[in-house]
Amino acid sequence: MTSPAVAVEAQRFVSREPELIARAVAGDRLAARELYDAHAPRVFRLAFRFCGDAELARELTQETFIRAFAQLGRFRGDSALSTWLHRVAVSVISNAMRKVKRFRARETDLDEAAPIAAETRHADPDLRDALHRAIDELPDIYRTTLIMHDVEGYTHEEIAGVLGVAEGTCKSRLSVARAQLREKLAHFAKEWFA
Amino acid sequence: MTQDDRFTEIARKAARDYNDPPELSRGDMDAMWSAIERESFAKPFRTPSAVRPVPGSPWSWATRGILPLAATLMLGVGIGRFALPRPQTAPAEIGPRTAATDTVKVPEPYQNTTSRYLGQTTALLAALPAEVKEGSADEQFLRRAHDLLLTTRLLMDSPAAADPRFQSLLEDLELVLAQVVRLQSIQNRAELDLIRQALEQRDVLPRLRTAVADISADD
Repeated sequence: MTSPAVAVEAQRFVSREPELIARAVAGDRLAARELYDAHAPRVFRLAFRFCGDAELARELTQETFIRAFAQLGRFRGDSALSTWLHRVAVSVISNAMRKVKRFRARETDLDEAAPIAAETRHADPDLRDALHRAIDELPDIYRTTLIMHDVEGYTHEEIAGVLGVAEGTCKSRLSVARAQLREKLAHFAKEWFA
Repeated sequence: MTQDDRFTEIARKAARDYNDPPELSRGDMDAMWSAIERESFAKPFRTPSAVRPVPGSPWSWATRGILPLAATLMLGVGIGRFALPRPQTAPAEIGPRTAATDTVKVPEPYQNTTSRYLGQTTALLAALPAEVKEGSADEQFLRRAHDLLLTTRLLMDSPAAADPRFQSLLEDLELVLAQVVRLQSIQNRAELDLIRQALEQRDVLPRLRTAVADISADD
């Protein structure tokens, strides 16, 4: 849960954002760095969730900000900067992943990217591996929604803003994604509740 | 709760460690930033004095918190631009510096303001460890850091920074004050350690005290 101090700090930063954007557009590196410091960790997390590779996630984060700063002058403030930035990020990540998928064997990623974490207590390791594989196999639009909502905790409103779709569409994609996972993991469900 | 719902819940929990991201280190952040900066800001650094607020943007800090010191400086910058030639200096390198052995020279019209600015900055940086110990930097402390950051940038853009040693000190102070301002709250130990490191590695406080002494001697 977010502490009140962190929430106040975040609110304070958001209120300074228009000023920082104006300064960054004018070429002020310190302002740009402040924006980068505030948003890069979340962009990196998202990139890593999609690709499972730290080096690639760093490259994607870098590319997101290079593209964002190049286009920042066109940002009109119709949405929050974070939404706009994540839209750029998702576009960069999706394009990269399409290329990466052609060259990379999926199994290697899964073995390397799924650490034995505390969550293991909550689910059978076999189920976890199968689930991760099933997420990998989801069509892109469902995978994106599922990762953002169920894995990274974005709200439907945020996802809809980032993907440029209606909230209803976002909810329906999530529901399809979950249904597909449930189907793929049906035998686990039977074992689990047998 | 149906079996389907329970299974969905279990699957959701299992999904949370899907491609679990590692923490980004400060080194990672800096390395990425270097590449971004190279690509995005190839042009020379422009100080905020060249930036105009966009309509509707909350420049409250600029309109509300301007210190008399900054106002004096702005006037001084205007006068100085006409009165004093400003030698071209190459951008100073970012990195550890050694304490200057020569004295810092600041043009006479700027000595009072600069002296006051240096005194206030020394006091603020000296108070930082105490603020850290208490674990809570108050609003006033951060506002003071913000105002001093503004003044630093004004000085960097003025003939007062004609002396490369002073310019270099101002650049380091800008970096440190920007870190203090960005800190917003004294909760983040890692950020505080970085500030401490920056202060130590760049010899900021000894150089600051030397500059105070030099400029006071010139008064």
